[in-house]
Amino acid sequence: MTAIIETDGLAKHFRSFWRRRVVRAVDGISLAVKPGAAFGLLGPNGSGKTTFVKLLLASVRPTAGRAMLFGRDCWDVAARRAVGYLPENHRFPTYNTGSQMLDFYAALSGMPRLERKRRATELLELVGLSDWGGVRIGKYSKGMLQRLGLAQAMMHRPKLLILDEPTDGVDPVGRREIRDILGALRREGVTIFLNSHLLGEVELFCDEVAIIRRGRVAAAGALAELTAASGYRLSADGVSDAVREELRRSAQQVAVKNGLVDFHFADREAANAALDRLRQSGSQIDSFTHVRSTLEEVFVRAVEESKEGA
Amino acid sequence: MIETLALVRDTFRESFARKIFWGFLGCSTALILVFLLALHIDLVEGAMAAVSVFGQSVDRGRLVEVDTVVKKLLGGVAAFLFSAGLFLSVFASAGLIPTVFEPGRIELLLSKPVSRTRLLLGRYLGTLAVIAANMAYLVLGVWIVLGAKTGVWHWSFLLSAALTVFCFAVILTIVLLVAVLSSSPALATMVAFFFLIVSPVLAQHARLAPLFNTQWPRDVVQGLYYLFPKVYDMGNMSRLALIERSVSSWIPLWSSAAFAVVTLAAGLWVFSRKDY
Repeated sequence: MTAIIETDGLAKHFRSFWRRRVVRAVDGISLAVKPGAAFGLLGPNGSGKTTFVKLLLASVRPTAGRAMLFGRDCWDVAARRAVGYLPENHRFPTYNTGSQMLDFYAALSGMPRLERKRRATELLELVGLSDWGGVRIGKYSKGMLQRLGLAQAMMHRPKLLILDEPTDGVDPVGRREIRDILGALRREGVTIFLNSHLLGEVELFCDEVAIIRRGRVAAAGALAELTAASGYRLSADGVSDAVREELRRSAQQVAVKNGLVDFHFADREAANAALDRLRQSGSQIDSFTHVRSTLEEVFVRAVEESKEGA
Repeated sequence: MIETLALVRDTFRESFARKIFWGFLGCSTALILVFLLALHIDLVEGAMAAVSVFGQSVDRGRLVEVDTVVKKLLGGVAAFLFSAGLFLSVFASAGLIPTVFEPGRIELLLSKPVSRTRLLLGRYLGTLAVIAANMAYLVLGVWIVLGAKTGVWHWSFLLSAALTVFCFAVILTIVLLVAVLSSSPALATMVAFFFLIVSPVLAQHARLAPLFNTQWPRDVVQGLYYLFPKVYDMGNMSRLALIERSVSSWIPLWSSAAFAVVTLAAGLWVFSRKDY
């Protein structure tokens, strides 16, 4: 199956005016986003996320490598026909009303006039701006602009949505609404590429992520795999000192909290063996849980590891 | 076609919002109203007239030929268009092209399935249409008012107005190139003004050459004259068209057109290569 987004050794190096200093904003990124996926691009500030998105959307020419959308080179105009985009720090012309803005950008996507009108009404309703369609954008709040921007990206019914910080400035209720809208689009088979620094958002919505640092991929894969078992936690009461010392050898971590002894094991076998030993010694098992890493832990680990590797 | 029309319409909207369009329309309307209300032409025996503006006789009570009066008036409007009109047009429209390159706006435009060439040409055509619409309104307004008052219809005036729009189209390619290179409306305006100001100077190249002691400055002046757009010469062509005299040389027209094509192509090429 053709990947919706595919990059191969994509790089963008910026040179200073006197060409002495080279900034490697994107430094050989190879990624593939499958159709229908919700893909999250993560990275610390200045890691090259926005430049990567600009490379995908032909705002910036690559120094090396190539980016493909729907199997076509992203510089091919036809490759961008089914792409909806919401940029970060957008500046929609304030002389337009909400409806006019939607109409303008949809016209640039080649949509016929009547369809544009119908779709704009429908989308303004969907993003909760139906009463604001006739009002100039200059009067919109940040959150309203984000909603309008999202509607703009959806106008021509794209098959791929590239969203750069889509919930920036949106209140928690609005964020949830945006997530719901994006969820509905996913169910319709739309591929979503989310560039965000809000790890919680990405964790709630995406099924695949790539973490980049200094223009390189520090970690990538299915979210479930990346956050998969970081181990098993066993908590027991009445553990004798001898058993505790015995189990310390196979445990990653042992801690005493409120009279309970917490053991942390890296794998299931060690955890089960410890469970048997504790029961045999007459200890009371309080809890036995499969511990997953949070995306934040994965993110910090990936960034730290890539720092050490650099 | 949908895309190009959208870009042109968007330029009109921006010019409306910046009050550029309405400012121009107001000035043009005021001028038309002067011709309509303040200018009084009494026709006497068909071909002779007494002319008064705001009740004051402009020919000290003498009767003059209607045709001469109309030509003088139209000549005045044409001269206004070619001097102040062009400066005002450049000043008013110079911001319309660079605003497209503002961060946060250009990225979204480039993400659309429209080629960069079409994006920029759409904006260029939109800006040209804003100014041409205003010039057409002024020229047609004055022409109709004078024609209706005198019964004299000088079609050559329309030709002279078309020449002014052409001249603006040439100057706008400079604005476009500088805007693409610098994204600065102020610099784009300054450079366009430079070309407008230097044109009458270079038009005197034959008189300027003997002032230099050595050959190379003469060659430079001569070279620049042929290289740069000939706004001043086109103004002269417009004047000659109005008094129905034949034009001695078409060089100003085609060399300015060639300059515009090269400048526009350079602007489009730079835009197609630039990172945003």
